[in-house]
Amino acid sequence: MDFDNSKPIYLQIVDFFYESILARRWPEGERIPSVREVAMMVEVNPNTAIRAFNYLQDEGVIYNKRGIGYFVSENGYKKVLDIKRKEFIELTLPDVFKKMILLDVKLEEMSNSYNQYVNDIDHENK
Amino acid sequence: MAQEFSIKRIGGFIYRDIVLLKSTIITGLSVTGGLLFIGFLFNLREDYHLTPNEFVSVFFKFYIPVGLLLCFTIFKEAHSQKTNQFYFSLPVSSYERIAAAWFTTSIIYTVVFTTFGFLVGQFAIVTGIVVSQANFHVVPIFSENYWKVVAFYFLIQPTFLLGAVTFSKNRIGKTLLSILLIVFGLVVYNFILFGVLNIGYEVFSGEKLASDAFDLTSNDFSGIGSWFWIIVLGIGILLATYYKITEKEA
Amino acid sequence: MVEINNLQFHYPKSRTILDNVSLDFTPGNIYGLFGKNGEGKSTLMKIIAGLLFPTAGNCYVLNEITSKRKVKSLKDIFIVSEDFELPSIKISTYEKINAPFYPKFSKNQFYDLIKEFKLSPDQKISTLSFGQKKKVFIAFGIATNTKLLLMDEPTNGLDIPSKSQFRKIMASAVDQGKCIIISTHQVRDLHSLINHVIILDQSKVVIDKPLSFISEHLWFGKPKHHDQDAVIYSEMTFGGKAVLYKQDKDETDIDLELLFNAVLSEPEQINNALNTAYHGARI
Repeated sequence: MDFDNSKPIYLQIVDFFYESILARRWPEGERIPSVREVAMMVEVNPNTAIRAFNYLQDEGVIYNKRGIGYFVSENGYKKVLDIKRKEFIELTLPDVFKKMILLDVKLEEMSNSYNQYVNDIDHENK
Repeated sequence: MAQEFSIKRIGGFIYRDIVLLKSTIITGLSVTGGLLFIGFLFNLREDYHLTPNEFVSVFFKFYIPVGLLLCFTIFKEAHSQKTNQFYFSLPVSSYERIAAAWFTTSIIYTVVFTTFGFLVGQFAIVTGIVVSQANFHVVPIFSENYWKVVAFYFLIQPTFLLGAVTFSKNRIGKTLLSILLIVFGLVVYNFILFGVLNIGYEVFSGEKLASDAFDLTSNDFSGIGSWFWIIVLGIGILLATYYKITEKEA
Repeated sequence: MVEINNLQFHYPKSRTILDNVSLDFTPGNIYGLFGKNGEGKSTLMKIIAGLLFPTAGNCYVLNEITSKRKVKSLKDIFIVSEDFELPSIKISTYEKINAPFYPKFSKNQFYDLIKEFKLSPDQKISTLSFGQKKKVFIAFGIATNTKLLLMDEPTNGLDIPSKSQFRKIMASAVDQGKCIIISTHQVRDLHSLINHVIILDQSKVVIDKPLSFISEHLWFGKPKHHDQDAVIYSEMTFGGKAVLYKQDKDETDIDLELLFNAVLSEPEQINNALNTAYHGARI
């Protein structure tokens, strides 16, 4: 895993979990890799990996079955979706808006761009 | 203490030393094997027979120097900057290191080298039969002189182990020099002591009376006496070697 | 696991290399020992391993003075030294003659690691490159399963894919009973692996803190305009990375290289920031 230099590593691991859950690679109710496996996968100290696991547990995205391992919560997908949506609206959008104002990009232009993009994607999928 | 002295670890350490020195041992044995062979043939030339004394006189010329070289080779690992960290961090106590090194360079070495000398000697006799008119006979190894040579080796060998551990550069040279200085010191000391004790009797060390006296004492001293000294001196010097090893940093 | 009290070290007739060093290493952690070349990293590692003897003060590993080199403690110490030479024998022979001395040695683990490093047990060590020899040494060290594993510049001589392999292997090697100390000046290689940092400078310990503690007190990144007062140390590289008092900002990743430079140039301010809890603007 390539680390970017702004977020603490454990939060970057959390993001990696979110991505895997959103992409349905890790379905709800299923077992996810152990702390040690994750630590190896992303080449980090297991203590850092544990911190990510604890964070996700506090968020209710995963839960621990003693002696068996960690599982994605039954409503894990929904929870991650909420978290990421909130993050997008509160953090990513303001940045976009700031740039739009700076570069004088009108809302109309943006919505055209957006429609175009969605169209392209649809085409590709057909 | 039980944890610091285990026969199993000593065995393991001896095995380790032998594996590490395998190629050196093979080279050394092939070179000395050739030289021994020539030496034995030379002695067969006149009477087509290898007598016990002829065997020992060829054998000891190689047995002692090769043994001393082995003492220095076995501690090479402890002196190289690149290998001594691993050597000293290996979980083997200093007692065990000394015990293993001593056992390898004295007992194992003597048994192996004697067997080797026997085989080369036998081969020389067979060669003698083939190329000339020697009679078949078994190489006579054990004689009084053989045991004297072995005793002499056992006497000086711990000193060489000590030298091999103590000095880190020019180890052989420095060891020989130290021995020479010690022997010289002892001679001077003896001479002075002799002079002090005998000045009243007007006997000087060059005179016949003096050498007779020395012969007398050395006769008393032989046999059990010399073995006693080998053991006492040997243990003392091995103990000094032990302290040198515990003090050595890597 | 390792306890060092007021340790002093100098070679005969030479300047002081370690001056009044006191450190405590506990199991379950990977320590990063950093310092410029010649600041005593290797010396400290050798003292911990019992290879060098302190001039004053003492060093205990598992409650035994290490300079006594008791089998009892040596069994639980392995040092992967920087400068080493392996005998010219087969990898499997190397294992056979050295492994019996380590009671917790795992043969399977050793050969798994050898395989993972793309080596084969039948290869003769003398035919390997320096990096490959290092891998054999590291694999052996990990497989001894000693409670204390010391590694002096382990990534030196490893190519880029091997460094990543090394991190994976180390991440799997640590467990709660094990203490790993890695000394290096290649801070970047180990950035994600360590969870405690120790920096040596001018013979002294200038910092000795868990990374989680540091990220609670210091902030790393490009400072915003209104943050200028909080800047402790900054670099004029592209973008102007800086170390700031964290105050109430979000936690950032620790830029070890930046921390290292900051500690060397502003040791007092950094320690100040670490030792005083923030009572800042929120009140």
